[in-house]
Amino acid sequence: MIVLDQASYRYPGTSTWALPTTSLELRPGEVVGVTGANERGKTTLCMVAAGLAPVTIGGELRGRVLVDGRPTVELAGYELAQRCGVLFDNPTVQLTGLHRIVYEEVAFGPCNLGLPLAEVHERTQAALRILAVEHLAGRNPGHLSGGETQLVALAGLLAVRPGHLVLDEPTSRLDPERSLQVADAIARVAGAGVGVLLTAHDEELLARVCGQVIEL
Amino acid sequence: MAALALTPVAASSLLINLLLPAGGGGLATAVAALLRLIGATLPLTLLFATTDAADLLNDLEARGVGRRAVFVLGAALAAVPRAQARAVDVIEAQRARGLDTEGSWRRRLRGLVPLVTPVVIGSLAEVEDRTLALEVRAFGAPGRRTLLRRLPDSRLQRAARWTMGLLLALGLAARAAGVTGP
Repeated sequence: MIVLDQASYRYPGTSTWALPTTSLELRPGEVVGVTGANERGKTTLCMVAAGLAPVTIGGELRGRVLVDGRPTVELAGYELAQRCGVLFDNPTVQLTGLHRIVYEEVAFGPCNLGLPLAEVHERTQAALRILAVEHLAGRNPGHLSGGETQLVALAGLLAVRPGHLVLDEPTSRLDPERSLQVADAIARVAGAGVGVLLTAHDEELLARVCGQVIEL
Repeated sequence: MAALALTPVAASSLLINLLLPAGGGGLATAVAALLRLIGATLPLTLLFATTDAADLLNDLEARGVGRRAVFVLGAALAAVPRAQARAVDVIEAQRARGLDTEGSWRRRLRGLVPLVTPVVIGSLAEVEDRTLALEVRAFGAPGRRTLLRRLPDSRLQRAARWTMGLLLALGLAARAAGVTGP
């Protein structure tokens, strides 16, 4: 479970609190939507909930942010990655750009963990399967459409097997058809027991997949 | 490809040394200069013409090079095509806003200025995003990474490597002993 308890955050070198005081809980299998106007702190909330802020990018956190009962500030980056995956709004930066085929790209996370090869394959295939993108396994990651790239980036996160996912405007660059594809994928991921925190302006997406929507 | 790239250099070397009084070294000097250029450029050109970057990185890792060093090399190799792609995106976006990037040299030069800033700033911003993206895929995990595939390394390839190493050592020794020219 991810818990934000009266959490607020400001980036390094700034005096403004980019994330106003916020509390929320995200349970396994639950999809919580976050909406709000631009500059209200949706992306910052994603960074804070996943622990990247302040663990990786610095800055000041007030209040508590717990992932599976442990404060994010006490966890190393790779430990956080196994508890909470984050999908940025630009999926192209989420791919390493170092792999020839999608399968290797998705396997990057499990390989980083030094898992036995059989488990790497099992996780990679499962991640591709749950998002229904097995057919992309042999494709060049640099030649995918926006929607496909988004799904492959998501598969790369799922292969690390985090208990939670934080998705920052996952459909903001997609057409309605691709958005629907991503929405279905989110529903499948949540159905597999992963808690999903999702920021979006797209009310249709929020209504379709979220059990609860919070406005910032 | 290497031959094509070297053609203008070879022509220049021959032209300067054979025809122009300022060069004046003659055919032997022209050929020597050309061979030096080939010696300096051919290894890298051949490496990238024959070896897939992903295979190179994979093999370096299999031979014990650390994941960070391998990633830095990979990122450096990918930087040029990535910057090119970004530049194309920016040019298209600026054209859509009415920027004239064609026509006379003066016009093109004027059109260059609004392109440079988004390309450079965008590339720098992307570095931070990519760092975060690596972090969320457990890149910082301790221990050795799992290698998804091992490249075949036949007896012939190993023999070729040892032979080339031996030839290199012999060449260096001959050079040190003053057997070959300067």
